[in-house]
Amino acid sequence: MSEGQTTTEVILAAEGVSKSFGSVAVLFSVGFELRKGEVHALIGENGAGKSTLMKILSGLHQPTSGTVKFDGEKIDLPPFGQAEDLGIVLIHQELNLAEQLTVEENVFLGREMVNGLLLNRKEMEQKVQLYLDELGADISPRDRICDLSIAEKQMVEIVKAMSRDARVLIMDEPTAVLTDTETQLLFNQIEKLKNKGVAIIFSSHKLSEIKQIADRVTVMRDGQWIATKHTEELTLDAMAQLMVGRELSKLYPPKNEVDVDAEVVLEVKNLYTDYVKNISFQLRKGQILGFSGLVGSGRTAVFEAICGLAEIESGEVWLHGKKTRLHSVAQARDAGVAYLTKDRKEKGLLLNQKMQPNLTLLALPNFVKNFLMDDKAEQRATARGIRRFDIRARDPNITAGDMSGGNQQKLLLAKIMEINPEIVIIDEPTRGIDVGTKQQIYSFIAALAADGMSVVVISSEMPEIIGICHEVVVMYSGRIQGILQGAEINESEIVRYASGLREAS
Amino acid sequence: MKFSTKLLGAVAGLAMAVSSGVAFAETYTMGVSIPTADHGWTGGVNYHAQVTKERLEALYQDLKIVLVTAADPTSQANDLEDLVSIHEIDALVILPTDGGPLTEPIRDVKASGATITVVDRSLTDNSLVDIYVAGNNSELGTTSAKYMAEHMNGTGNIVILRGLPISIDEERFDAFMEEINKSSGITVLDNKHANWNRDDGFIVMQDFLARFPKIDGVWAQDDDIALGVIEAVKEAGREDELFIVGGAGMKEMVKRVMDGDKLVPVDVLYPPAMIATAMEITALQFVSGAPVEGTFIVGSPLITQENAAKYYFPDSLF
Amino acid sequence: MAEIDLNEVDKKSKKGMLSKLDFKTLGPFIAMIVLFIFGYLINDAFINSGNLSNILTRSSFIGIIAVGATFVITAGGIDLSVGSMAAFISGIMILVMNELKTVMEPGLTIIFAGVAISVVLGIAAGFINGFLTTKGKIEAFIVTLGSMGIYRSLVTYSADGGTISLDREVRAIYRPVYYEDLFGIPIPVLVFVAVAIIGYILLNKTVFGRHCFAIGSNENVAKYSAVNVDITRIKTYILQGICVSIATIIYVPRLGSASAQTGTLWELEAIAAVIIGGTMLKGGYGRIWGTVMGALILTMIGNILNLTDLISNYLNGAVQGVIIVVAVYLQRGDWKKKK
Repeated sequence: MSEGQTTTEVILAAEGVSKSFGSVAVLFSVGFELRKGEVHALIGENGAGKSTLMKILSGLHQPTSGTVKFDGEKIDLPPFGQAEDLGIVLIHQELNLAEQLTVEENVFLGREMVNGLLLNRKEMEQKVQLYLDELGADISPRDRICDLSIAEKQMVEIVKAMSRDARVLIMDEPTAVLTDTETQLLFNQIEKLKNKGVAIIFSSHKLSEIKQIADRVTVMRDGQWIATKHTEELTLDAMAQLMVGRELSKLYPPKNEVDVDAEVVLEVKNLYTDYVKNISFQLRKGQILGFSGLVGSGRTAVFEAICGLAEIESGEVWLHGKKTRLHSVAQARDAGVAYLTKDRKEKGLLLNQKMQPNLTLLALPNFVKNFLMDDKAEQRATARGIRRFDIRARDPNITAGDMSGGNQQKLLLAKIMEINPEIVIIDEPTRGIDVGTKQQIYSFIAALAADGMSVVVISSEMPEIIGICHEVVVMYSGRIQGILQGAEINESEIVRYASGLREAS
Repeated sequence: MKFSTKLLGAVAGLAMAVSSGVAFAETYTMGVSIPTADHGWTGGVNYHAQVTKERLEALYQDLKIVLVTAADPTSQANDLEDLVSIHEIDALVILPTDGGPLTEPIRDVKASGATITVVDRSLTDNSLVDIYVAGNNSELGTTSAKYMAEHMNGTGNIVILRGLPISIDEERFDAFMEEINKSSGITVLDNKHANWNRDDGFIVMQDFLARFPKIDGVWAQDDDIALGVIEAVKEAGREDELFIVGGAGMKEMVKRVMDGDKLVPVDVLYPPAMIATAMEITALQFVSGAPVEGTFIVGSPLITQENAAKYYFPDSLF
Repeated sequence: MAEIDLNEVDKKSKKGMLSKLDFKTLGPFIAMIVLFIFGYLINDAFINSGNLSNILTRSSFIGIIAVGATFVITAGGIDLSVGSMAAFISGIMILVMNELKTVMEPGLTIIFAGVAISVVLGIAAGFINGFLTTKGKIEAFIVTLGSMGIYRSLVTYSADGGTISLDREVRAIYRPVYYEDLFGIPIPVLVFVAVAIIGYILLNKTVFGRHCFAIGSNENVAKYSAVNVDITRIKTYILQGICVSIATIIYVPRLGSASAQTGTLWELEAIAAVIIGGTMLKGGYGRIWGTVMGALILTMIGNILNLTDLISNYLNGAVQGVIIVVAVYLQRGDWKKKK
């Protein structure tokens, strides 16, 4: 990483900043310095206080004690995002864009350029186009946000920040939902901003990315500042150790090999849908089958079709040796097939409801006694789910939307287990989840397989595919590019298939 | 009923026309704009307008009548624009939903050269009006008050159920109060709006009955309200304690008067058929070929058991 | 960020004593008690049994319709057509009964035929609304705005702009359904209570009810959780239609007539009752008992205004508006939040 642009001039700093919410203290006298033109990574497990610190640095929270300095001056940052006027811009993980408006309208939202009483659309569009070109983004100012991919939406956020002449750009886990290619594109953009002298704070769970992009790293743990170091001083292992504060035990549980003659519980033959072509594979009892490939390669589409969520054009699905066609999620459920979506917030959980109704929703018919809901049985199931999947909620009446990503994922696992499935399909099982919880989820998955269930894991994180799967299907552009077993399951093999460089004969 | 002198001749002309089945020298179009049938009385207006349209069109081969209904002043103003621009009317008969806001739209119609006949409501500029046909709201109030004072021998308690809060209601109410206050022995316990609506009449009367232990007379002002009041009184079993005076001359009410119902000894006329009168008089100017002007006031006489048969039309809708 | 929003946690833990009083649940009930006391202070005739029975009986129409609306709204829909639908069903019901009277002796058969027609029409009308919003993929607001206009003009048309009146003899047989008591309680009130109890069980104790909550919270999540979104939604509209028909069945004997004016603004009153009761207008959360309270509150406001001459008649609407907004504000409980 070039150090050329980095100076020691501090633009934004926190000194002895503490923050409590009521009686709960979440930050303890944290110090932090951001220099002009540097990319400063902020790492730590979920709950370490990264987000809170970022919010304090952008004025969204006020510190309980301690000071924030901007350009060397003590400052009380104005709340509600008004700090953007000072050039401090926070890009949330859940992007803050008006879905129905266009790119241009979003970028200039709230400070539209006018010609007398009328909007000066032309000039705004030109400006936005200029920024987009600068970033090398292939979108038009007239595109609607809802038609864009997540990565593209992120670009819009960056353009928004550029248009405000941001001096400090704070990005909360920008890469969590990006593919590797998209991440690289984002990094190129960050590099360009950095060269223009913008200071960037960046948080991520993906340590290899930190290694690649950051100049300095600040590690936080349990609300405390642990260390700030130049990136080259730290190895990935060292970062992880600082974060966790202990030696990381092995992330992945040991693999139990599957009997070669174990029953084939699911077989798909020559499946075609709108998005995928000629899909054929087998899933055996007790097997963990990985589905790898780029985002958009059709992995999710295959299983949505199998589970009755999308139309099948042609092809056959065999369950336990019987030709079957599932037309709805209800039929899939009754056939013992559960699909756990990657979109926890939009398709997985009722965010405004408590744990119990979420947990029992899929298996609702199991909780009926004399045509009425059996509240007792539901309560028992909730207690059971919380215990089995180690759901840690401070308040049992918490609504799903207020739970952490890890706990939400555990709740979803508990939810699909209520139907006692034989086949479990988990899409992106650890997206946006901290290391500790990841480890737990991997062991749950391994335990399910050991209990005789068959598991499909769809994942964009190659290490987890390699770490837990017995067999890996790699998709490329709607087709199965290859099926890997044993020693073939390694990063370079998967990448070759996933990028279409190599094809199974 | 008061005729202005100019009209007398015109009516004579109408009599001639009826007997012959006239063809005009040219084709004329009459626009009729009335409120939507939102309660019994306007329902009657709609009915009479429709019937009269058919009758007049059969009578005069060259007369075309365009009938439009509107729920509020804005849509009625739109209707007027359409009548002028699309139908090119020669005469307008209008029962305004509200006289004030419609004055200017009517001025535009007048400017197009059409004769203006206004029914039952006054405009803010009455110089626009060629023919005015109306009921007498003040008289309705006065007649009702006079009868009630007399029937109660000048003493007792009255409750009043009013219509919608618009000028017609005010005129009736003010005249009633002026007359009733002449009898010092009569107390008006309270007045509430029942919106010329049966359901509201029922509910408001229920509450009056709960609130006042002794009510001697009810002025319901309108027959729709009165029908609701009757049900509430029956439910409370207080039929023998009081009597009800409605208004309009709805056939159900006239029937009760005719049958000598103690609860409803009289009714006060306010006929929706005035729209028919207005249309007929307006049609006359095409027959006579001379401009017709004047004011025609339909009175509000008391309908009693003796004269009820005269006002009872069992086949009428209203 | 995937951490627990500590602001939320904090808010909950800090409420302390106040949180023991769950305003979300008790809000409408408290509002009703306050109105009750207010009514008594204004005029002690308010609490005599006749008046209270009037209030209960009167609120039964809106109340029954609002119970249906609770399902529709909880599932994230809206039905603006209920008032017109009530007028239309009343009108057709009366016309059918009058027609039957020309061919048979007036008796219970005619009444039952009228009731049957009403229920069939209610189910059909609800199904049409539901079908168009789900399979037709048109927003519920537009579909029901359309059907609202259609039913209203159909009833005006059937009545030739006037009033459709039930035959005298038939009415004499039917009249007790509104005016008589059973076990000392007016029949409409009993029907209201029965509808509310059944509604409560359906919404809170059955799979169907849970599905309504799920759909209203997030249609996609419901779909991915094996809920048949379209069928459930159609069922809510059918239920709404049945509730309208039940309300009609007890409305018709009251005045024995239907006109273009019947049921005007009932849709807004029903929606107001539902929202006052604590159901979320955007869906995902519904409460039948709240709705019952909401209907009672609305009726009580009108009743109290009729019992006093302190407030100008012209301000009735303003008083109602203020009370509705305050009642909802109280039960949302946001006023306890600091800052």
